[in-house]
Parts: sequence; C-alpha cells; structure tokens
Amino acid sequence: MSVTELKERHLAATQTVNSLRQQLNQKRLLLLDTDVAGYSRAQNKLPVTFTPTDLVCCRTLQGHSGKVYSLDWTPEKNRIVSASQDGRLIVWNALTSQKTHAIKLPCPWVMTCAFSPSGQSVACGGLDSICSIFNLNSSMDKDGNVPVSRMLSGHKGYVSSCQYVPDEDTHLITSSGDHTCILWDITTGLRTSVFGGEFQSGHTADVLSVSINGSNSRLFVSGSCDATARLWDTRVASRAVRTFYGHEGDVSSVKYFPDGNRFGTGSEDGTCRLFDIRTGHQLQVYNQPNSDSDFAQVTSIAFSVSGRLLFAGYANGDCYVWDTLLAQVVLNLGSLHNSHEGRISCLGLSADGSALCTGSWDSNLKIWAFGGHRKMT
Amino acid sequence: MESQNSEQVLSLVASANTKGKHRILAELKRLEQEARILEEELDQIKKMEKASPACKELLVDVESRPDPLLPITDGPAVPAWDRWFERLQDPTGCGCWLC
Repeated sequence: MSVTELKERHLAATQTVNSLRQQLNQKRLLLLDTDVAGYSRAQNKLPVTFTPTDLVCCRTLQGHSGKVYSLDWTPEKNRIVSASQDGRLIVWNALTSQKTHAIKLPCPWVMTCAFSPSGQSVACGGLDSICSIFNLNSSMDKDGNVPVSRMLSGHKGYVSSCQYVPDEDTHLITSSGDHTCILWDITTGLRTSVFGGEFQSGHTADVLSVSINGSNSRLFVSGSCDATARLWDTRVASRAVRTFYGHEGDVSSVKYFPDGNRFGTGSEDGTCRLFDIRTGHQLQVYNQPNSDSDFAQVTSIAFSVSGRLLFAGYANGDCYVWDTLLAQVVLNLGSLHNSHEGRISCLGLSADGSALCTGSWDSNLKIWAFGGHRKMT
Repeated sequence: MESQNSEQVLSLVASANTKGKHRILAELKRLEQEARILEEELDQIKKMEKASPACKELLVDVESRPDPLLPITDGPAVPAWDRWFERLQDPTGCGCWLC
C-alpha cells in the first residue's frame, strides 16, 4: 500500500473514531439525569460550614531552599517525605516538625516522591526518567548521603508521578512523559507491566498523575495531557478498562475517592471533576467561582477521609476546600492567615485524615488541622 | 561521483518514506483499535444505568464515614485526631539534627 493510500485510510479511521466518540458522548448525556449536587440538594443536604478558626495552619515545615513539587505521608505515624527544586528529599516528623533525613539526589530535577507502605523506603523520580529508591535505614555513604538502593530504569521520558502499591514495599507504579505507566518489581528492578505506549492502546500524550485503589490494588487511574483519565487493571496492560472524557485540558492530578468506586481529577482547564468507575459517568464538575473570564489551573487534589471535602490547589495560590456533595467552595486556605506565599503544588491527607499537608513554591510545607469545636452525631 | 550522490539521496528518501509509512501504519492500527473499543462501549452503554443511583450511593457512603476535618461528623471522637494541638513533650528545642 502506498503512503498516499495509507494516509487516506488514516483520515477515514480518524473520522470513524470521532464519530463514535460523538455518539458515545450523546448517549452518555442522556443518562446524566442528575449530578451529585443536584441529587444532594433534592435530599435537602446542608453545606459544610467552617468558622474562621476551624481549619488552621498548625505547623510550617521549613527547610527546603527551592519550590516544593511533591509530598507523601506514611500510611502510619506522622511522617512526610517532600521533594523540591533544591534537589533534595526531606523526611519530616510532621508532629514535631523535625527533619529526620535530608537526601541529596543524584539528579536534582525531581518531580515526584512517595513513601513505601512500611515507611522504610522512599521513591522519587523526575527529568532523569528514572525512579530511584532510598532505604531510610541504610548507612550514609562517605559524603554523608543516603545511597540509592535501587534505580528503576526503562521510561523514555520524565517520571511525573509515583506511588507504591498499598501494603507492598516491593511494587510501585510510575507515570511518565513517554505516555505510559509502569508497574515495577522493586526487588528485581524490572518492569512487570507497561500500560500504554507505542504498541498498545493507551494515553496519547504525557501522563502526569496516578492513583491506586486503596481497597483493590489491581486497579489504578491515570491522568494525562491528552485531557483524559484512564482506568487500568494491572492484569491487563494491553488496553485501559475505561477512558474518561470531559476535561478540556491536561489532567494534572487524579485521586481515588475513599469508597474506591469513584475518583476525582484536577485539570489545566481550571475544573475538578468526579467520575464513577463502574458506569464511566461524570458525576460532578467543580467550576471555580467567577471562572468566566479568568481561571487558574488546578495543580493538585486530595479528598478528606470521608470524601465530603475536596481540597484543590490552584496555580494562582488558591487552595479551595470544596463541599463535594453540594459542589460549593466552603473555604479558601490560600486566603487564610499564615497561608503560603506561592502556588500550592501538592497536597495530601494524613492516614487517619486528621491533617492536610500542603507543599508550595514558597519552599514550605504546612500542616492544617481542625481546631474548632467538633460536634459528634 | 554524481551518480553515487544521487543514489545516496534516493536511498535516504526511500528510507525516510519507509519510516513515515511505518509511523502511519502504527497510528492507523491504534485508531482501528480505539474504534473497536468505542464500539464495545457503545454496546455496553445500552444497558448502563443512569447517574442518580451512583449519586445516591456516594451520598450514603460519604455520610457514613467519620471525618476529623468536618465540624459535624459521626462519632465516636478519636483523641488522636487532636494531637496536632497538643503541647509537644520537648518544647524547648526543635531537636532537628540539621541545626
């Protein structure tokens, strides 16, 4: 077949795919009889209301000398690992504000970090396209640095995000600028599975974020510059289980909802969305207030432990706290006293949900907790 | 000499054409696979339920989980939730080994 003939077939196939997508969108719209906010209002749900002193900044973790790009809590206790433009990982005891480790990285262009489930190791990745593992219990090398215990090489682009498989120190999943996600066996350093890529159906642009299902670790979601999120089953690498459309820009952040049957997304288009995994429905859009003229990109999202609150960091320094059920902003952490002085680039909840940590381009991390009067029902 | 150069040029063009052809073929295969996946999804959506059952399920689940960051939440209270406001045992020094 000649190149001309191939190009004609390519054009026809593109038109077929576009037509099928349009049909699918139309059929989906007919099934969206309500969204979460509409349903909750019909049930007479009242919004969450905070007094000015309810959610307060109770710690500021100072130590990085550059923008903070990523953070992760341990599943137990109160430790956090953070990654910064200064080329270091710092491990913090968030309760005492102590730094327990400061790891100078072989490649300073780090973009992501993660704590292992046991809390004994940390992983990081970035522009070197490698995911590096550090054992926090190992002896320092002659320069006083924590040595790399394993390097996971194989990505052909930057490592944007990494997360350990829950309850397994031996496996983690990375996302990359090479359009793929990889499940790694850390013990051997080998790739167990590659999701997407040149020869498989998957994302068609850089993948920016991953989130693994906490109750079924075979499932994870990814978010990409192709404006989609995809659900993957680690047993089937050849294609995504489902692709979620709706965003109009890069999907910079994905996070599973606490019930494991939904997940949230944050995007360059300024919105956050909530998707249902089983049906694929877009259940809610969280549009920034006054977003008609100018909106800021979403940098990072996290859910409170019940899912009632969605925390979203934006490129303009705002950090909205959304009532997920009523789709209303109930607080802006970015406008509170003692808040960050720059963009909030990452955020995460402690394991028991009692504290939120935010990381910022102002080089600090902050811990937020509920300091008001709590009413138990 | 000239015929050698033109042979080399022809060979380079042919090679570039082959690479371009392979790229288009790979992209075509990807599109055809995507079309199959979309057709499967169109089949599934005929039996798909509406959004409201998922919204109902979500609301019930959210309201059943205690949440330390909410002003009103299911009990009982867990004392550890308030550890962020307790006085630390060693308030005199930061204890940071880097200072």
